[in-house]
Amino acid sequence: MNAYLGVDIGSISTKGVIIDDSNHILASSYIWTQGNPMKAVKTLMHNLEKQIDKKKIHIIGVGTTGSARKLIGTMLNANVIKNEITAHAVGTLSLYPNVKTIFEIGGQDSKIILIEDGIVVDYAMNTLCAAGTGAFLSSQASRLGVDVEDFGKIALTSKNPTKIAARCTVFAESDLVHKVQMGYQKEDIIAGLCKSVVSNYLNNVGKGKKIKAPIIFQGGVSKNIGVKKAFEEEVGCEVIVDENGHLMGALGVALLAKKSPIKTNFQFSIADDNFETKGIECHKCSNHCEIICVSRNKQLIDAWGNRCSNGDLMNR
Amino acid sequence: MNKITIGIPKALLYYKYKDLWISFFENLGCEIIISPNTNKQILEDGIKFSMDESCLAMKIYMGHVYYLIDKCDYILVPRLKCIKKHEKLCTNFSALYDLIHNVFDKNLIHYNLDVDKKEDELYAFTTMGLSLGFSYRKIISAYKEAKEKEKLLNERRISKQKSLIASSNKIKILLAGHPYNLYDEYIGKQIERILEKSNIDIIYSDNYDQKYLETEVKQIAPHNYWTYNKEIIASIVHYQDVVDGIILVTSFPCGPDSLSNEMILRSVKIPITNLVMDEADANTGLLTRVESFIDILEERRKQK
Repeated sequence: MNAYLGVDIGSISTKGVIIDDSNHILASSYIWTQGNPMKAVKTLMHNLEKQIDKKKIHIIGVGTTGSARKLIGTMLNANVIKNEITAHAVGTLSLYPNVKTIFEIGGQDSKIILIEDGIVVDYAMNTLCAAGTGAFLSSQASRLGVDVEDFGKIALTSKNPTKIAARCTVFAESDLVHKVQMGYQKEDIIAGLCKSVVSNYLNNVGKGKKIKAPIIFQGGVSKNIGVKKAFEEEVGCEVIVDENGHLMGALGVALLAKKSPIKTNFQFSIADDNFETKGIECHKCSNHCEIICVSRNKQLIDAWGNRCSNGDLMNR
Repeated sequence: MNKITIGIPKALLYYKYKDLWISFFENLGCEIIISPNTNKQILEDGIKFSMDESCLAMKIYMGHVYYLIDKCDYILVPRLKCIKKHEKLCTNFSALYDLIHNVFDKNLIHYNLDVDKKEDELYAFTTMGLSLGFSYRKIISAYKEAKEKEKLLNERRISKQKSLIASSNKIKILLAGHPYNLYDEYIGKQIERILEKSNIDIIYSDNYDQKYLETEVKQIAPHNYWTYNKEIIASIVHYQDVVDGIILVTSFPCGPDSLSNEMILRSVKIPITNLVMDEADANTGLLTRVESFIDILEERRKQK
């Protein structure tokens, strides 16, 4: 049986799925990236390998997405390397063909994707500001001495959410400290924080966008029920969180790999090869580009980052 | 008399007036030295000599001026306050001369333009030429000749773009913004490279015939008084029916753009995205934005 592998590798977490020809998920895995995408992908491969019968299933397409898509795409010899916006849209549309709006809040960035008649018509990403992303929430959780996983549940117990300045991470943080010192209840502050994430998102990423239902909410922060509830209050309609919401990017890129006319022959043994990356600074012109070299078992397989042909290490 | 060497920083208004400036000084028999394309060294020097709050294009300009120091007799740093009656330019353009003068204290050419005070382009070139010691007659003919050459080259660029629009069936993106953003190695060229790799035809907003500027600009912004932003807006109105999408390029944090971008984003009827470029070297975010924008345009084409 033919199957397709999709890997979504973000700043915080790494997601992988294997799908068959009728788009059923055969295997999936969700692990932390922990600042080492190559190691995370190796672990991911081992996790996925255990879930399937290798004698029966042949992976003929590999897709990668997420911020480390190029690196991991090179490593896995992927036939599709796609940006996360398209991957998320494709993945979500396969399960919710009517979706009009996708909210996505991840570890380091947040996005909004607008869809009409099954195609993406507009998108936005956070620009110079990381307020309200997963990284912000987990740092605030540790400041309050709470597990970030419990954030949502605690927020739901609040009857009177505290107002927290939402413009900017730095202001939100100092406002939060101030409210703590004033003696506000912890659950009210946490609920306020969830609200501030939402208003920040809608005023920043969602600024000027026409938000239409059905709305799907994805990314690590979507697991926080407090933020989901705050979204629903703000937009005035139901916000759907799929239990596989965290896998949408990986699913999307697996579907794209399936659609692609190029096929690869993928072996799980690739995870046992020795991959290395090295950053070198090219001194052939005054640009001093930083070039990333990727090698497999000590052999250079790809390099990028050069602005001009002087730094082209592959075609020499 | 030894030939005078004029240094021109390849940044900011260079991209707007290069034909005029270069040909004027050539006609006068000056040597011209132009700083190279922005590179890492220039950017780093620029950041070193700039305030934190300056926009990326200004920081880059400082680096280019620094590069030219001690390589020429004079550096051309214009002071442009107003180039069209009752209209404004970004205050950076009127502050530039004094800023450079105070930071570097080198020989700059006196080039002042303020149409509201009746100091027009001819006046600016005359005073500039006289201060370099050329005769009035020579200056006037050098200016006239340069002006004609500028017009010719500009018309050639516009008609080249016109024929590209007419002949090609590829996806077309209008790259809209100030020329100093569009053509700078560290700003627009980064986007251009991604688009070229994706086999996209690029239409540039500055290749625009300003004949109908006033009527075209009114469709989006009836009360705009920023001259250079009006040109961008009018060009967007002009080209929006023949391109698939628009990428609006801004350097962080541009004042006039922050105003006119909002008007553009709210009025344009085709896919548009605004890319704000800062001095960060990592372009992963940029790549994601441009690629997904291209995906949107490709999907739209398929649907048609």
